[in-house]
Amino acid sequence: MDEDDVKQVLLGIEDPEAGMSVLDLGLVYGIATEPGRVRVEMTMTSPACPAADYLVEEAAAAIRAAAPAGTEVEVRLIWDPPWTPERMSPEARTRFGWS
Amino acid sequence: VPPLARLPLLFLGFVSLAFGAAGGLARLSALEVPASAIALHGPLMVSAFFGTVISLERAAALGRPWAYAAPLAAGLGGVCLLLGFSVEGFALMVLAASVFLVAGVVLVRRQPSLETATLLAGAAAWLAGNVLLLEGRPAAPWWMAFFALTIAGERLELSRYLKRPPWVRAGFAVLVALLVFSPAIPRALGLVLAVLAAWLLAFDLARVTIRRDRLPRYVAACLLAGYFWLAVGGLGLLLEASVDAALHAFFVGFVFSMVFGHAPVILPAVLRVRFPYHPVLYLPLAILHASLAVRALVSVPLGAWGNAAAIALFIAVALYLVTRFDPRQSARAASR
Repeated sequence: MDEDDVKQVLLGIEDPEAGMSVLDLGLVYGIATEPGRVRVEMTMTSPACPAADYLVEEAAAAIRAAAPAGTEVEVRLIWDPPWTPERMSPEARTRFGWS
Repeated sequence: VPPLARLPLLFLGFVSLAFGAAGGLARLSALEVPASAIALHGPLMVSAFFGTVISLERAAALGRPWAYAAPLAAGLGGVCLLLGFSVEGFALMVLAASVFLVAGVVLVRRQPSLETATLLAGAAAWLAGNVLLLEGRPAAPWWMAFFALTIAGERLELSRYLKRPPWVRAGFAVLVALLVFSPAIPRALGLVLAVLAAWLLAFDLARVTIRRDRLPRYVAACLLAGYFWLAVGGLGLLLEASVDAALHAFFVGFVFSMVFGHAPVILPAVLRVRFPYHPVLYLPLAILHASLAVRALVSVPLGAWGNAAAIALFIAVALYLVTRFDPRQSARAASR
């Protein structure tokens, strides 16, 4: 499973309030893949977001389901650096009026 | 704290919702309920029910076991009130708000921002209201500031996705400062709430997501309808119109509409259950807002029963949607 495969999976994980994927919203900070292992770092717009753990679990479950059996999947929530709107995809930036 | 362990806390809050709502109805029509539920309708609805639910959500976000002392104290406080131990109940609500305030401080330290500061100010307003309640003084304006700050803080957070000129955020900061002090003068609070409603109607993410479909659109409809009643409630306070109409425009039209929109997003996060979108969710929402119009314009008792029916129907719809899928299907969805 390579980085693009992981991105495809993360396109299916939506922030329910925004109606867009965590990838488009720029909440995914990093994807590292090696044989038998996937690591993802992501954030939320706010530390007060009660959906944070839920979205992390959803992302991990979705990657696990798409990865070859036995792949070790780790999705970590990080707060530093804080999220900024520049991280959004061109599509998201267009929808929300940034470009 | 495992998700299912949160369920008893939620249930505790719902005890206060059931008796608090029944107590409100008993003020308007013949209904056999405990005298405490009639006398303490406000504290039961605000500090016992919403206090439990909101502080439970905050504890889940924080992920610290001690933060669950807030929903536990608020929920038990409601039970104390119902059993006739008013002072003990009020004291537990002060304790709940104090823990909630500390949770707010931890969040600000985790990420200092206007958003987290607004949520902290909301916690302080809840504590102020509960302290006044314990002293036997009017708490409602402070509770209104609690909801306005808590909801607006979370909405500001989500509106960061949108490009807005800097003055929009600066204007919000001014509103937050005014919300902290204006409850001392209810008419001033009314004006601030009306301006906040205008801010939210103009700049909230819901203005964009109302053009989406399914869940994002439904949530946006709940929010925008709620902001309308926030404006009505604020203007009602400002103009010193009917107290019943102003308070219920705020607490039912604004706050419960938020709950209707927020539940499908938040219940999966807090309880790890599926809450699939279904268009039937619009039915309780429509009844809620129509019955509020009846309450304000036609008949208070008729409108109040409609309000209660909308809330009961929403709970029934939510239970149906959450439980209707069989476990195999849920398992498949979970590993999607």
